[in-house]
Amino acid sequence: MAAATKPETRKLTSAPSILPLYARAAAPLIPGASLLPFVPGGGGEIPAVRLELDGVVADPEALAAYAKVCGFPLRDHLPPTYPHALAFPLHMALMSDGAFPFGAVGLVHVANEIAQHRQLGVGEELALRVRATKLKPHRKGRTFDLITEVRVGRQIAWESTSTFLRRGKVDPDAASGEEFPILAADVPASAEWRLAESLGRRYAAVSGDRNPIHMHALTAKPLGFPAAIAHGMWTKARALAALEPRLPDAFAVAVRFRRPIALPATVEFAAQGPLFAVRRGTERHLDGRITPVAAKPGPKGKAN
Amino acid sequence: MNSETRRIAVIGGNRIPFARSDTKYAHATNQDMLTAALDGLIDRYGLEGEALGEVAGGAVLKHSHDRDLTRESVLSTRLAPETPAYDVQQACGTGLETAILVANKIALGQIDAGIACGADTTSDAPIELNEELRATLLDVNRRRSTADKLKTLTRFRPGHLVPRVPRNEEPRTGLSMGEHTAIMAKEWDIGRAEQDELAVASHKNLAAAYERGFQADLITPYLGLERDGNLRPDSSLEKLAKLKPVFGGPDGTMTAANSTPLSDGASAVLLASEEWAKAHDFPVLAYFSEAQTAAIDHVHKREGLLMAPAYAMPRMLDRAGLTLQDFDYYEIHEAFAAQVLCTLKAWEDDDFCKEKLGRDAPLGAIDRAKLNVNGGSLAAAHPFAATGGRIVAGLAKQLHEDGKGRGAISICAAGGQGVVAILEGPEGGTK
Repeated sequence: MAAATKPETRKLTSAPSILPLYARAAAPLIPGASLLPFVPGGGGEIPAVRLELDGVVADPEALAAYAKVCGFPLRDHLPPTYPHALAFPLHMALMSDGAFPFGAVGLVHVANEIAQHRQLGVGEELALRVRATKLKPHRKGRTFDLITEVRVGRQIAWESTSTFLRRGKVDPDAASGEEFPILAADVPASAEWRLAESLGRRYAAVSGDRNPIHMHALTAKPLGFPAAIAHGMWTKARALAALEPRLPDAFAVAVRFRRPIALPATVEFAAQGPLFAVRRGTERHLDGRITPVAAKPGPKGKAN
Repeated sequence: MNSETRRIAVIGGNRIPFARSDTKYAHATNQDMLTAALDGLIDRYGLEGEALGEVAGGAVLKHSHDRDLTRESVLSTRLAPETPAYDVQQACGTGLETAILVANKIALGQIDAGIACGADTTSDAPIELNEELRATLLDVNRRRSTADKLKTLTRFRPGHLVPRVPRNEEPRTGLSMGEHTAIMAKEWDIGRAEQDELAVASHKNLAAAYERGFQADLITPYLGLERDGNLRPDSSLEKLAKLKPVFGGPDGTMTAANSTPLSDGASAVLLASEEWAKAHDFPVLAYFSEAQTAAIDHVHKREGLLMAPAYAMPRMLDRAGLTLQDFDYYEIHEAFAAQVLCTLKAWEDDDFCKEKLGRDAPLGAIDRAKLNVNGGSLAAAHPFAATGGRIVAGLAKQLHEDGKGRGAISICAAGGQGVVAILEGPEGGTK
């Protein structure tokens, strides 16, 4: 791999406001808008920018609302997926920058991997770091990773990699990606989840992710979806809420987002050993895997 | 059938700090708080993956969707899912009653270890569908034809949209618990100053318990709260004297300071047989040796609503062969300072002990220096079903510090009920 240029670091003093960012994120959908300097688009390379936001403390009310929508009890530590919601304004800011090669609206979230090195206490001060990797060719277009780190003091306590696909020219020669183990289809479901049509709006309200594909059939249709679709990160969070009592304090969890869940829907959750899946009949919506990571001392001081 | 009983060991307890209503735990549910209290206990005693004999728990203010609150909380913890659980509800006696249930099963050899717990929130209180609307909807559902369904629906009135908010009142008297206690205070001639003194002592004792680190292994912080939100270490008689009465009219003696505030919280206590404790290498903090419940008739005989513990205590003492003075500690739940003072006065009263309790002599006075030595509900606050666990764990720890000794617990409850119990130190009840 070529030596990466040192990224430009931008220190933010507060979380960016999401709604105006959406206007910019969606602007490239307007023909010709990408020619404007403040509108993402143009299709070039991803800028080497690292966004930093220090002193982030979870808001108890927002946390409680998130926990309720995802099925987590309100504990004294954050749900393992919550830092993703805390970092979401930074994700949007990065992807709606004028130098970004395409708009965030229309990107497909194909994978997410989280490594929680220790639990994050509810009142802990967190430092967020967000950057994107260079574009990689993919069979269905091109992908890039959005990398998020959460530090407590000097320690990286939590990190995540979200992979996004920009659909484009089919490249049959591109690597199909590493093999991801999949839960055997004959593992019986352990639960049935009945998901309401309003789920996308409810999760949007607690995560900030108001992508129109999640909000309503009327806003999802112009973007190529028959109905509003469930957020991939909600599906992952809901799965982790189901697994949580069985998980250690430190662990990694990787998921692949498969076919979107069109709302309303009834889906099955199944798990065995380190693997889990959200599916409906033979259709797979999400494949997941838990792996161990070394534990770091947690909020209570002990290595947990 | 088993004909021998076993001693019941109190291994330890855990609770989350209690919060005043609509403060730090405003958005936490009973299940969240109960799970947090259990999480802390499981963490402290390394119970991850352990299948216990049972978990008994409960809440007084319960949502209809909180069916099997305790079992659902257990499933959110790292206890083995093979741990059975069930809900108990006996108003403010719930917490102590769960301990009695678990203790009795241990004594009989039916289980080896279990957790008694409770939670209550007044912030996330249940608000119900208007009763008339509910009845109308159920009737609509019972009708067969669409025409009948529509006809039934015409019973609907806009006023039916007003939900039903639970009130803290006795169903059979219509009086709130505070109003009932104000009547008791008048009957027993309890003054304002002595109630305020009890409240100040409660705050001072709890503050001192925190200062000397006594609470360190009894509490796990939760949602930014490390100490009970109601605790006022600088509470003083001068400050309390300025408050206006809240119960008993303008001449009343009960204020917001000498009555417990609405609050949120949860607690849990681990009980086990001696064999289980030994096998797990846990020191025994205390033995749960006796318990008794009693109820009075507050409706027709017009006994004071919260006087039932006064009846329960002598029955338990007789069975244990003890007198009221044979204790090193008295943990009398301070629902209201007046409730504690009425109870103590009743035990000293010739007529009450003779006529109501049928005894030749009064139970007598207690040494006030032994009362609620590490603070009571007036300081810690009183999330109804969580109070029993707070008291059992705290008294057990105190008895373990002393090695020997004996403590009495007395808790009054709505509906004219009372629950009392005795704990004895790990090296015996007599000092």
